[in-house]
Amino acid sequence: MNAPSIADSGLAGGVALVTGGSRGIGRAIVETLAAAGMEVVFTYRDNAAAASEVVTAANGAKISAEAVDVRDSAACAAFVEKVAGRTGRIDVLVNNAGVIRDNLLAMLSEEDVRTVLETNVAGAFNMCRAVIPQMMSKRRGRIINISSVSGEKGGRGQTNYAASKGAINGLTRSLACELASRNIRVNAVAPGVIDTEMSKAVRELAGDQITARILLKRIGKPGDIAHAVWFLASRYSDYVTGQVLSVDGGFKME
Amino acid sequence: MSNANINKEDIAALLPKVAETIADALGCDAANVKPDASLINDLGAESIDFLDIVFRLERAFKVKIPRGKIVEEARGSLSESEFENGGVLTPAGEARLKEFLSEVPPDRFKSPMKAAEIPRLFTTETFCKMVIRQQRAAGGSGQPA
Repeated sequence: MNAPSIADSGLAGGVALVTGGSRGIGRAIVETLAAAGMEVVFTYRDNAAAASEVVTAANGAKISAEAVDVRDSAACAAFVEKVAGRTGRIDVLVNNAGVIRDNLLAMLSEEDVRTVLETNVAGAFNMCRAVIPQMMSKRRGRIINISSVSGEKGGRGQTNYAASKGAINGLTRSLACELASRNIRVNAVAPGVIDTEMSKAVRELAGDQITARILLKRIGKPGDIAHAVWFLASRYSDYVTGQVLSVDGGFKME
Repeated sequence: MSNANINKEDIAALLPKVAETIADALGCDAANVKPDASLINDLGAESIDFLDIVFRLERAFKVKIPRGKIVEEARGSLSESEFENGGVLTPAGEARLKEFLSEVPPDRFKSPMKAAEIPRLFTTETFCKMVIRQQRAAGGSGQPA
């Protein structure tokens, strides 16, 4: 039996959807999957300038963007149908779109709670519901949800965000059970502290203490997360499903 | 949605394509997908296969089939409590189900019957009727696309 080349991730020629791909971790995921030879269509909510910058920077790679609010299930369904209608396949879904509204619970507005849960949780549900029939009919697919270290560890001011990421971990494990028989793998990546605009406020608030709690003594880069997503999308993880992979530099427990 | 005016000819017209679609989804031979075959009991379908079948039928016949509405449709004009009680069909519910699934041989209906077991009754013809109802709801002619 000839083993396939170790350099072949099995991703070239496939189609990936990435939600929230215009900035930060999402952008790194988009660019990494495109570098592996995938056609990547990413969504953004309202920062058209950032989205168009990612598309322009693609430099020959197949990257395109669509304005989709993942909280809107009809919009998610229409988006998936449009891409599947054109490409005939959706191999990978990365649920990355997420927002943060940190505050002590007693100070959180109803809006702060709703926005975080609707974007981070309902958004993932909406996209999964839309792509599953596509993947089922092909008997193959990979769903990768972006969780957070907050999904497992407590953190002051993060009740809404932590609840949303805990929900993502539960969704990941249960959906893996539902779809395994159809050869659709479902996993999550749980980033620690990553250098993005979204985590800026948290990092500034915590100052130097934060690196002291990371075994590898540095803040993570968006690419660190993108590489884990690439692994979970690739054939190298063909025997991995229902897992939440921490990519946090060894974040110490309190 | 009722069964009104769905006759044997309407169903027969759709059968080959529906059977082929079901065979594709279940990975079996279309010849085994008999009109009165129970998808679960005879063809080994699991509940998740219904999602795949419905999705494929939507594409094959260019219709939209509402997800998870089959049991709701089966209830017809009966309220939930008139149809079932604690997950078990009421006598009125049983009568209504037999009328709705008129294509299913009468000896396959159990009494008492659990609502969760309704999908076990679904046959190839049940899916033909589902497509016809959606085609008519959309103003179609009832012919295959």
